[in-house]
Amino acid sequence: MLELQSVVVDIAGAPVLRDVSLTLPRGGCVALIGRNGAGKTTALRAMMGLLPLRGGRVLIEGKDATAVPAHHRARLGVGYAPEERRLFGVFTVRQNLLLPAEVLGLAKSEIGRRLDAIFTLLPELATLADRRAAGLSGGQGKMVALGRALMVGTRAVLLDEPFQGLAPVLAQRYAAALRELQASFPDVALLVTESNPQLLTSLVDTTYVIERGEITQDGAFAAQG
Amino acid sequence: MGNWFTENGPLLGLALLDGIASAALIFMVAVGLNLVFGVLRVLNVAHGSLFAIGAYAAASVGFFAASAGLPAWASLPALLFAAMLVGLVLGPLIERLLLRRIYDEEPVLQLLVTFALFMILEDAQKLVWGVQPVSFSTPVSLMGTVDVPFGTDVIPYNTYQVILLPAVAVVTLVGLAIFLRRTLTGRVILAVTMDREAATAMGIDARKVFLLTFTFGAMLAALGGALSTPTSSLVPGIGASTIVLSFAVVATAGLGQIEGAALTALMIGIGRSIAVTFYPELEVVVPYIIMVAVLLVRPQGLFGVVETRRV
Repeated sequence: MLELQSVVVDIAGAPVLRDVSLTLPRGGCVALIGRNGAGKTTALRAMMGLLPLRGGRVLIEGKDATAVPAHHRARLGVGYAPEERRLFGVFTVRQNLLLPAEVLGLAKSEIGRRLDAIFTLLPELATLADRRAAGLSGGQGKMVALGRALMVGTRAVLLDEPFQGLAPVLAQRYAAALRELQASFPDVALLVTESNPQLLTSLVDTTYVIERGEITQDGAFAAQG
Repeated sequence: MGNWFTENGPLLGLALLDGIASAALIFMVAVGLNLVFGVLRVLNVAHGSLFAIGAYAAASVGFFAASAGLPAWASLPALLFAAMLVGLVLGPLIERLLLRRIYDEEPVLQLLVTFALFMILEDAQKLVWGVQPVSFSTPVSLMGTVDVPFGTDVIPYNTYQVILLPAVAVVTLVGLAIFLRRTLTGRVILAVTMDREAATAMGIDARKVFLLTFTFGAMLAALGGALSTPTSSLVPGIGASTIVLSFAVVATAGLGQIEGAALTALMIGIGRSIAVTFYPELEVVVPYIIMVAVLLVRPQGLFGVVETRRV
């Protein structure tokens, strides 16, 4: 579904990704594990087309998407929940969820159907729907960011450090939501970044480890963390 | 004190009305500047030139309409038409040819580029309209005066400045608030203002939003200029004084604040006209005294909110 091929990224002249290759298969769940600063966020931003590549390619559904502008990723079915949730604070939760679908110009009925599916998966969002995003707690915000990514992420959802800063109870609830997501949307590929490999063992089928911008372990070889 | 009021009451009333009229114009310019900075993150010094060119263009269109034999009331739509024309032509031209190249540059460089643009437009304006004062006051004489009661006094004041200008400012304020919150395009603009990258990931084409917002901001500046035309004679330098006042309003109100910009424009407009009336030597510094006083206490501006985005 989504692939990085030998991607090289420099930020301010310094290499941040060196020859990174990573495959996110259709319906698969992949973990990208690494310390802070290892290049996890940069890898996701490269997939989203949010920064220029010095080398390599990004493939979406087998087609070269390196030159496809970032804002077309949503149309290709790739949803993204950046680190630190990044919700639109003055909007309500419902407006945050609806925005990407409205921007795509989806039919009202289709938007309603997707919103219902997200409310079924994450029932807490239905009760928060009319609250302003700025007033949410960290855990609530993460759930909204997940829902917002799902709104357009019909093929793949990229989650950047979703567990960071969550209290253990909330982290468990979030992991349960991801498991339910896998069960109810089996075709959606999930890519989750994390600094602690233990958290994801029950969820993922492939793990990549990234260190100083390089993939040091990949595939089933590291599946058990 | 009571004695001071009986002596100076009419003067104070006049100063208030002057202040409200100039606040309406400052607001039109400041709100566009604010919107453009919020979305593009470029502080556009040349925003004042768009005001000036809008003003001169309004005079030209007004004269043309009169010479073409159109009735006097046509001078009002002529102002609006001139402003739209200036915004729709210069807005996309500046954004496409110039600003688009500097979005990823350092703020200092952006400031230098828009300052250079300001200088170029200032000279272009002198080239086209010359340096002699231009005056086109048909709309003011057309609309006559109203008697504004102030305490025990009645102050006759021209309808254009005391009714029309504030009405246009209020319509702009309310219209903009409704547009930004209730329409999809408005929410898209707000989303880019809040977080460009997250908005892009949601499928929003930020470049398109930049073009749209800049053109809209240019139209607001030009409209402010066009509306100012009937109230004063146009001379080189009006662009500079306008941009400086708008900067003061935006900095005092806090970035991204529309309603706040309206209140601050009133504060600064009235503060300045009171100074003009009673302490003329303070006229130039009053806006900055207000700005500095506010920023010392609230560095994020009167209505600005400190950004908190951490978990």
